[in-house]
Amino acid sequence: MPFSDATHFTPFNPAGAKVLVVDDDRVNLRILRGILQNAGYIIAEADSGEDALVQCVEFQPELVLLDVVLPGIDGFTTCRELLKRHGKGAPPVIFITAKNAADDIVEGLDAGGVDYVPKPFRQNEVLARIRTHLQIRRLLAAQHALVEQLSRANEAKNKFLGMAAHDLRNPLASIRGLAEFMREGVVGELTPDQLDLVNTMHQASQSMLELVNDLLDLATIESGELKLARAPAALAELIEKSVSLSNMEATKKETRVVFNAASVAVTFPLDAAKMRQVLDNLLSNAVKYSPPGSTVTVELRGDRDQCEFSVKDQGPGIPDSERDKLFKDFGRLSAKPTGGEKSTGLGLAICRKIVEAHGGTIVAENLAGRGCEFRVTLPFPDSP
Amino acid sequence: MSIPGKVLIVDDEAHIRKYTGLLLRSLGVPLILEATNGQEGFEVYQREQPDLVLMDVNMPVLDGVETLKLINAYDPEAVVVMLTSLATRQIIDDAASHGATYYLRKDTPRDEILAQLKQIFADTFESDDDAAVAPDATP
Repeated sequence: MPFSDATHFTPFNPAGAKVLVVDDDRVNLRILRGILQNAGYIIAEADSGEDALVQCVEFQPELVLLDVVLPGIDGFTTCRELLKRHGKGAPPVIFITAKNAADDIVEGLDAGGVDYVPKPFRQNEVLARIRTHLQIRRLLAAQHALVEQLSRANEAKNKFLGMAAHDLRNPLASIRGLAEFMREGVVGELTPDQLDLVNTMHQASQSMLELVNDLLDLATIESGELKLARAPAALAELIEKSVSLSNMEATKKETRVVFNAASVAVTFPLDAAKMRQVLDNLLSNAVKYSPPGSTVTVELRGDRDQCEFSVKDQGPGIPDSERDKLFKDFGRLSAKPTGGEKSTGLGLAICRKIVEAHGGTIVAENLAGRGCEFRVTLPFPDSP
Repeated sequence: MSIPGKVLIVDDEAHIRKYTGLLLRSLGVPLILEATNGQEGFEVYQREQPDLVLMDVNMPVLDGVETLKLINAYDPEAVVVMLTSLATRQIIDDAASHGATYYLRKDTPRDEILAQLKQIFADTFESDDDAAVAPDATP
């Protein structure tokens, strides 16, 4: 990996780095200047804290070597002021001082200094410490730049994904619709073989449309365009609709989806369409991975502060080794649908993002014996 | 049934024109006209005076909203339904402010889109339809 090569094996060369040396003692200044210039640094000097603050703007040092006892404001105050003015962009400050009781060192580090060198100092120690902190600073800058670059690349990917998915939808919807017309004999009776082919076209376009929709959802969510339209919704009704939809698929496998509603009505401010997507997904997964003839149980509980719904299946459960893949993009596990259904590996990633946008959590747990439970907990928006 | 006699589909994509045409035929629309961009759509509109226009948004030469403005200026009574993809609120509002009566999402499942079209027909052509049916009903 070129990246790790660069960070681990290329010796750091600090030559040319700009260091500001702050000391009111001319002799000290001269000694430090000699040592640092010999090591290849570019030096600027200041003889007071006030002067140092000015130099930080004019000279733009990458590191400041700062005496503590100074005329005017002292080194600690200078350091605090520097951090206040420049924030994260402030150069690292190493205190170099004869004031080196344990309390002084602690105060200096509290003031925001990165290191503390007692006087009289050893030349090699000063150089080593300077080198280390310059290296940290450069690595941080490089890391920051890398993160920026990656986040821009990710944004571009999402945009591309969104555009591609968007442009694929309409043709796929047309293919699906045209196949529906054909199989109904609108353009002439079909032989059984022809009907079989048309049905295959229909199924293929349908599952591709679902994949494209999932991709589009993911791209929308990731690019931060997921806007929730919250309104008070009766969760039980939402669940009932989803249950009756999934029962249509479930009956093909002689699986049953049952819903045990909460004893009290749970009305909750949420984006009903998005939450319905979560429900449909969890239920269709549960049906998909359940052995034929089993039961999927949906439960709803709620109180003033939060509500919780869960989907329990009697499938194979989630292997511990695959747990961390579960809610990730394209995180398909080793379990296979029991009725030959398709899976894009995006459903649970989308669920997690929708639930998190609501401030909630989604977890999966294996049940004792067999099966697993997916549980969604949503806090009331006003509750802490 | 309240069915428009002549419907114009304006869309640059052949599969959309074909599929939408089948949707309309299955609802009993007797005459379906097609245009492949806004410019052509406006010309056909002036020449044929259709009862209803189904109009795509993103098209070459002249886009849907611009075409809508032309048609609306030419005939304020025109019934134009926008055919959208993942419609953003802004496009829908923009089209509505220029006289579009409805919008349909192209990727809507067929049964739903048929129901929506029927609803549009019922809302829009009921009175015309009654007038057209009345003479036949009278002995």
